[in-house]
Amino acid sequence: MQRRTFLTAGVALALLGGTAQASGDNRETVAAEVLATWYRLALELVRHTPTYTPPVASRTLAYMGVAAFEALASGDARLHSLIGQLNGLSALPDRATGQGYDTAVILTAVMEGLIRDLFANTGPTGQHAVQTLSARLAEQAATGLAADVVAASRSYGATLAAAVLDWARSDGGAVIDNMGFPATYTLNPAPGHWVPTSKIVLQQAPLLPDWGKNRPFAMPAGETCTLPPPTDYSEDPASPFYAEAMEVYTTSGSLTDAQKQIARFWSDDAMLSYTPPGHWIAIMTQVAVEKGLDLTAQVEALARMGVAMADAFIGCWSAKFQYDLIRPISYIKKVIDPKWEPLLNTPPFPEYPSGHSTQSAAAASVLTALFGDSYNFTDESPTPDGVPTRSFASFWAAADEAAISRLYGGIHFMPAIKHGQDQGRCIAAYAIALKTRA
Amino acid sequence: MRWFALALLASPAFADVEIPRYVNETASAGIASVYAGEWEFMTGGGVAAFDCSGDGKPELLMAGGTQKATLYSNDSLTGGALKFTALTAGVELDRVTGAYPLDIDSDGILDLVLLRSGEDVVMRGLGHCQFSRANEDWGFDGRDLWSTAFAATWEKGQAWPTLAIGTYIDRTQDAFPWGSCTPNALYRPKGQGFAAPLELKPSFCSLSMLFTDWNRSGTPSLRVSNDREYYKGGSEQMWHIAPNQAPALYTAAEGWKPLKIWGMGIASTDVNGDGFPDYFMTSMSDSKLQVLAAGPEKATYKDIAFASHAIAQRPYTGGDFRPSTGWHAEFQDVNNDGVQDLFVAKGNVSAMPDFAMKDPNNLLLGLGDGTFTEAGDKTGIASFAQARGASVVDLNGDGQLDIVVVNRNTGAEVWRNEGAPKGHWLQLALHQDGANRDAIGAWIELRQGARVQQREITSGGGHAGGQLGWWHFGLGADPQAEVRVIWPDGSASDWAKVAGDGFYDLTKGHAPKAR
Repeated sequence: MQRRTFLTAGVALALLGGTAQASGDNRETVAAEVLATWYRLALELVRHTPTYTPPVASRTLAYMGVAAFEALASGDARLHSLIGQLNGLSALPDRATGQGYDTAVILTAVMEGLIRDLFANTGPTGQHAVQTLSARLAEQAATGLAADVVAASRSYGATLAAAVLDWARSDGGAVIDNMGFPATYTLNPAPGHWVPTSKIVLQQAPLLPDWGKNRPFAMPAGETCTLPPPTDYSEDPASPFYAEAMEVYTTSGSLTDAQKQIARFWSDDAMLSYTPPGHWIAIMTQVAVEKGLDLTAQVEALARMGVAMADAFIGCWSAKFQYDLIRPISYIKKVIDPKWEPLLNTPPFPEYPSGHSTQSAAAASVLTALFGDSYNFTDESPTPDGVPTRSFASFWAAADEAAISRLYGGIHFMPAIKHGQDQGRCIAAYAIALKTRA
Repeated sequence: MRWFALALLASPAFADVEIPRYVNETASAGIASVYAGEWEFMTGGGVAAFDCSGDGKPELLMAGGTQKATLYSNDSLTGGALKFTALTAGVELDRVTGAYPLDIDSDGILDLVLLRSGEDVVMRGLGHCQFSRANEDWGFDGRDLWSTAFAATWEKGQAWPTLAIGTYIDRTQDAFPWGSCTPNALYRPKGQGFAAPLELKPSFCSLSMLFTDWNRSGTPSLRVSNDREYYKGGSEQMWHIAPNQAPALYTAAEGWKPLKIWGMGIASTDVNGDGFPDYFMTSMSDSKLQVLAAGPEKATYKDIAFASHAIAQRPYTGGDFRPSTGWHAEFQDVNNDGVQDLFVAKGNVSAMPDFAMKDPNNLLLGLGDGTFTEAGDKTGIASFAQARGASVVDLNGDGQLDIVVVNRNTGAEVWRNEGAPKGHWLQLALHQDGANRDAIGAWIELRQGARVQQREITSGGGHAGGQLGWWHFGLGADPQAEVRVIWPDGSASDWAKVAGDGFYDLTKGHAPKAR
């Protein structure tokens, strides 16, 4: 069963168009439609490109958001560039003085440049779709414009995309070999450390063990937002660690239908969904449509959300491989019940902290800062089969549910959830502090 | 687990496994077929192997994509070099993705089903390797979709087969094709032909289908392997296809568990000797090998590919660390040791940089204990072309199984099996009067001492192509065996002793007859 796709261009155009036409700016309507269509494609490519695990998706969505923001900031004196605010971003190309530009054409060229590069490894169908949309959107954006404006705008957009990509290449996350699983990896043989949780060959090593060393966007370093160590490992039934495992075990054994739906709703599996960062971008864009945000506010939100979630994954991965904690499935099968199976597939990397908890908290922090702490919404992004849409009283209500879903799914102990959320709040503060208005 | 235990008693030891020797005769065999085309032909590329000349050796029909399909006459001498000649046979259509032989009208002459990116076509066999379009005569609505999978069965009491055709992406959705899987169809009999296609919804971009009696109930079900790249909310499927009833998916309550893979090909045999078919599914990266997990009462399967060393996950030749892309899969006994082996055709979808570009086909030799060992490089079949469809079939009538592979955008390849000298073999053809002349849905049982090999006779599966004709068994060192047939109506023939290294016609109601 599929829910309505939030980023259908028609819906975006209809709702955004109302706002833009009311302001008499038809070009903004075109630009918003172009941006929405590229994001729709990007989320599909996240779902369908082999290397797009959640950390990788968060990185791409961050660069897309920053590029979209800078495409506007370069020609709008009301906006304050992120140059100098984001790590390693020391310069971006300027527009030529006296030359007329069009935002829709620039956005088309910028997004095309980024998507062609960042999804260069997608399959033939993705390549086919990118080619098709590139031509279609370029024509759509250029309709009715003077040729010199189109040419200058496309050229500037391509140059801006190239500059952003050049900046991206040095962050440590640009090359993903072997789907993100290292060819060689030495497991820590001491009890309590991560061990493979599946019989899939690639997953005999953990995903992206060096991702925490990547250059963050807004926070100073991957280790910036520290969190307390996990509970001391023990197989003693009287130990706190055993109790945490029993909590997972007993919860798993008494799940209500509602809890199962929550777990599945937020499972956001790599290569089967938009992934957690894509899910939250979908929420953000839905809210943008509902609130009729103008294009400037949209790109500000996309940039902050992208940066916050990308940094959340860097921080989370830094901690994951610092602590290298065993997953519930490994512990419970060894110590409590060898036949136990969790509701969700266990992701192939260490347990502590919970990635979904960290990045959902980061996303909710940004969205709350943008839209307030009591925004009611029904999440319309695609869900797994048979799982209905879910409604929330606030972004934090959604983030809390995403976090606890990992307990219901049997893939995290509670400290990973709680401390992951704390880490996400800490990381998001750097994205929220970015100055985007002059 | 009774059969498993018996199988272990008689299985060859690891050190005894014979490595067959294959000779690449592509250059001299006279086959010049290329499966050509871009996006719409990234899948498909099947080959059908069947005898239409009456000499007992299979001809080959190869899908050509944007090029015309080609039927090759088999001119090989028994035991000799492989020789083929392209024919003008009436099948020379473009946009063909796959082909399966089947005696649809039960006239004793094999017909063909041509899958296409476009209208599918059923071709009536006229004899002497000539065919003519029969869509109109047989009421077959070929639709205009991107067809990629096929299976056939005869439902109980029916004079005509039931066909299942699987389809792929909606070709018109070029910007957002994901989630646009077009409906698969079931063609049930209606008089001397077919009723309007019954859509099998939901459909999830299938690349292989197989009617198979998974629990030996006497009524085959339809397994469908789907490409998760394109469906939304999908998974692998199995349909109840009960006579006079609407198709119905197996449910969680029946034990069916969702599995989401890039399903591209299905092969079946009884790997673990429990008497029920097991299923190997090709995919990208790890393949799956499913065995019944809780007996025939529940349609629950567990994956033993990893434990069986049948995962075929990445090139075994070194030099390319990236994961593989698997297409056609087929169980056969290539070294005649009495244990099923597994051939897997491999090749990148196009130029996907995260997957191996030098991706050799696999030849996994069964060791008799439920595990396999890779021998693709040792046997000489480790081609790096972008393989799609294939057939493991005796092309020169010497009892040794040869291999033909269709490649994307480059020439097809063919290897002659020079043999594994210690092993004896049998080739058996089934015949019955009336409908379903070739006994699709039968089981052949072959007994040697306490050990019984069982083979389900199916039409479908693999990737975009299949074979019909002789059913091959390896006998190992024992030069004889007993055989019997469980016919599609459930009746069983008597056990009959036959000498190895020969071809036999097994006709219902008659003793085996050497040919």
